[in-house]
Amino acid sequence: MSTTTVGGPPGTGADRAKRWYRARRSLQGVSFVLPNFLGFGLLTLGPVVALFYVSFTNWNVFGKAKWIGLDNFTRLLGDSSFHRALLNTLYYSAFHIPLTLAVSLGLALLLNRKLRGVAFFRTAAFFPYITSIVAIAIAWNLLFSRDAGPINQVLGLFGVDDPPGWTASSDWAMPAVIIVGVWREMGYYMLLFLAGLQTVPPELHEAARIDGANAWQRFRNVTLPCLRPTTFFVTVMLTIGSFKVFDLILVMTNGGPGQSTLVLSQYIYQKGLVENRFGYASAISVVLFALCMAVTVVQFAVNRRRNA
Amino acid sequence: MAAPHTLPDLATPDLPPTAPDAPPGRRGGRLPAFGRVLGYAVLAVAAAGLLLPFFWMISSSLKTNSGVFSIPVTWLPDSPQWGNYAEIWRISDMLTWLKNTVFLSVVVTLLQLFTGSFAAYGFAKARFPGRNLLFLVYIGTIAVPWQAYMIPQFIMMSEVGLTNTPWSIIALQAFSAFGVFLMRQYYLTIPDELCEAARVDGLSEYGIYFRIMLPLSVPALASLALLTFVTTWNDYLGPLIYLRDPDLWTIQLGLKSFVSEYNAEHALIMTGSVLSVVPIAVVFLLGQKYFVQGIATSGLKG
Amino acid sequence: MRHRHPKWTAIAAAVTALTLTATACGADEPADSGGPVTLTMSAWSMKTTPEFAKLAEAFQAQNPDVKIEFKEYDAANYDTQLTADLAAGSAPDLYVLKNLKNFITYQAGEQLLDVSDVASGLGDGVNGLGNYKVDGVTYAVPYRQDSWYLYYNKDLFAAAGVTPPSEAWTWAEYEKAVADLAAGLKTAGSQAKAAYQHTWQSTVQGLALAQTPGADLDSGDYGYLAPYYERALKQQQAGAQVDYGTATTNTLQYQAQFGTQQAATMLMGSWYVATLIAQQKKGDAQPFQWGFAPAPQRDASSKDKPVTFGDPTGLGINAAIDEGKAAAAKKFLTFVAGEGGATALASIGITPATLTEPVTKAYFGVEGIPGDELSRFSFTTHDTRAENPVSPHTAALQNILQETHSAIMSGSTPVNEALAKAGERARNEVLESK
Repeated sequence: MSTTTVGGPPGTGADRAKRWYRARRSLQGVSFVLPNFLGFGLLTLGPVVALFYVSFTNWNVFGKAKWIGLDNFTRLLGDSSFHRALLNTLYYSAFHIPLTLAVSLGLALLLNRKLRGVAFFRTAAFFPYITSIVAIAIAWNLLFSRDAGPINQVLGLFGVDDPPGWTASSDWAMPAVIIVGVWREMGYYMLLFLAGLQTVPPELHEAARIDGANAWQRFRNVTLPCLRPTTFFVTVMLTIGSFKVFDLILVMTNGGPGQSTLVLSQYIYQKGLVENRFGYASAISVVLFALCMAVTVVQFAVNRRRNA
Repeated sequence: MAAPHTLPDLATPDLPPTAPDAPPGRRGGRLPAFGRVLGYAVLAVAAAGLLLPFFWMISSSLKTNSGVFSIPVTWLPDSPQWGNYAEIWRISDMLTWLKNTVFLSVVVTLLQLFTGSFAAYGFAKARFPGRNLLFLVYIGTIAVPWQAYMIPQFIMMSEVGLTNTPWSIIALQAFSAFGVFLMRQYYLTIPDELCEAARVDGLSEYGIYFRIMLPLSVPALASLALLTFVTTWNDYLGPLIYLRDPDLWTIQLGLKSFVSEYNAEHALIMTGSVLSVVPIAVVFLLGQKYFVQGIATSGLKG
Repeated sequence: MRHRHPKWTAIAAAVTALTLTATACGADEPADSGGPVTLTMSAWSMKTTPEFAKLAEAFQAQNPDVKIEFKEYDAANYDTQLTADLAAGSAPDLYVLKNLKNFITYQAGEQLLDVSDVASGLGDGVNGLGNYKVDGVTYAVPYRQDSWYLYYNKDLFAAAGVTPPSEAWTWAEYEKAVADLAAGLKTAGSQAKAAYQHTWQSTVQGLALAQTPGADLDSGDYGYLAPYYERALKQQQAGAQVDYGTATTNTLQYQAQFGTQQAATMLMGSWYVATLIAQQKKGDAQPFQWGFAPAPQRDASSKDKPVTFGDPTGLGINAAIDEGKAAAAKKFLTFVAGEGGATALASIGITPATLTEPVTKAYFGVEGIPGDELSRFSFTTHDTRAENPVSPHTAALQNILQETHSAIMSGSTPVNEALAKAGERARNEVLESK
């Protein structure tokens, strides 16, 4: 099938053959993407494009959507709840992304070995992700309980006289949510790292060991570079996931106390599904989208420069 | 998290290049016994912390309804209500929910594995104009919160008559951008020279995908399969909007029917949640060896 | 759209036009008047919520030609599911307005049929009917009108040696009783608290809005909440009730708190009567003597007709209903809001919107309902104000007040500061934005 000459015969036909070859490769490439794109384009991309349109209207689910230009976006500028939600989202992400990244990579390295019982530990690490999120919220809230919670009792043993109120305190609710967020998702990303670690050629490690590289040097110079596509994937997914954090906060604190854990996704939910202001909710979604994309594009660029 | 003692061995995968199935425990001698005990101790403590909420779930599933939330908390119920595990099958359609959930999860996972990895090959190894832009569009849609566009999507699905059928969930979940992205990244780690060599050998692009890429990407396929399976299994909002007929309910949706207007059967909800985790745990335990069973790519490089 | 937009906008517009055009569902069976008609109606948790089947059954006994078929929704996500269905044109002929907060959305979105003729036929005896009137047109009728009571555990009062309420208490009398209970229960060696206040915003804000003269959600002035919050904070500081942080972190359930005698008094809606009876029967709640009294009042002036709060539950007709079915649907509405529906509901322990003599009789005929004078008085005599007065701003304002509630009750923000901020946010984000 692909017996077309790669180099092409010399002479006048060469250019045409090359073009033909390229066109055919393009077509083949498209044919790979097409089955997925048909479903994706119709079912996801279509509604997403509609959302962009809605963000310039005052659509409230029922009736016609009236075009109001940039009104929704100019309102966002003066909306202090939106500012609060944006800042909280950045607060959450600033800690959740690096912590989860570090812990899940550490777990993957630790559990990427033939060790008695490793299957059990891998499963245990993944359990937070499959445990019902309602049960997680209830159990962690119990652990965080100000007076009788085990966490504060342990802190008491270490001489902390005035332990934090965690989810019942506006200062400590966000750290509590971040802790649970990292705890819940580290197994998920560990899994992705585990798959990525299989692409690291063992003989590179052997060679480095023979050259006298210590463990840290081997990690820096062999494991990390080989893991780059996976790290990139995890970082992008983790970034988007953190910016979009929703259900965990909804069940753990419902954004409270006050607005101390109100995040963008929840604000979108409030404005959209609770107050039926889908035009405004769509505008906030567009901002969230832009935020994610800005970070992702930077990550793309950095990743490309590193690969070059 | 990792104790410094165990670090020296962290960076090195334990898989010898030629024999990925080396018997476990062979190399134990390299780690001093003390370090090994300490390592296990750390892991055991960590595992306890990881499983604590799950433990709370089990403990609550063995309580009476009014005993689930009490002050102070009881972690071990005085008289375990084992009857809850029989009761739930008797009073609800757990079996129907289970069947529906298994059906959805399996079909979605298979479709996602196929369309995702197929498209990923196009994005990673083929060339066509607009490739990178299209890929960015894929990632872009991940960044849009579903609750903002679910109503337009619902209206669309309802126009074509898919709402209130299992196909709505299958259609929505099977083509997600997540799988494409995951597989693309994995394919990027497979050297282009391998594909070139195969082309020279006369293999078509489809041949390269089926004969070279798929076998090489078992760990990635395994993680994608597991993650898709779990996501579909635990999905709540999607089925909530699309699957209205009680005959179509999934476990997550069915369990919510224990929450009525003025009361909720908390103990039974937790019983159901424990039951719902069991199949996933089994799938994971069986599948987890595949995450670390990739064929070292470099072996094929030469 | 005044000028040309770039191409992608045009595409987006086309896609949106495609997706947003909710087509009125077309070919339903044409029902000629007089022949058998099938009406579809929304419902939730049918297994544990008998009211829907009960209403349909009672109606069909009188109107064998009309059949009611239910479409079941999720209890907690009812409005989300219904909104999606309405937008897609697949909602049932009749739908329940679960609370007052979302009524305005359906009304303003032109999803409800004008039922003014039904309303005028019903007369003034239906509690909560006025809530559904917008610009002189009625869009739905209430079939149940819950209101908030003070539940009290007679056994615990006796154990503490405190006299139980004999008439509507003032807040001062209530506070004194709570203090006495706290002391008395302690001396009696009981673990129970004097009161349980659930974590909802309504447990504080509902009565404050209903009882304070001039209080208005839409005013953006929330100073009226201050005395109610100070009282709640005082009682949790004194240890007379479980504090908010403990209640939230332990996910406490009000049914278990009162039902397993953890608290001697509790403010809660009238729906809890039926729940408590059912739980005592099933064993989820302990057996003990209890009753319900009117919610405490600002002063003695309202003792003859105590002021309390609660949203009605209404039924409306889908604006897209088949014309041939509208008459039958209106007939059903007349039935559910009137005495016939009310008696049927009362017979299963639900507080209906119409409270006539036969209804009251049916209600207290239910096994397990406390039949003492005060409970009877509480059921029949009250001035129930809406928790969510109908206004396009209510949903957004209640969101702000919910955040204010958790800020105050968790002790994160002092009362006056939090209320001032709520007012500022209300004016800034909601009231001046239209």
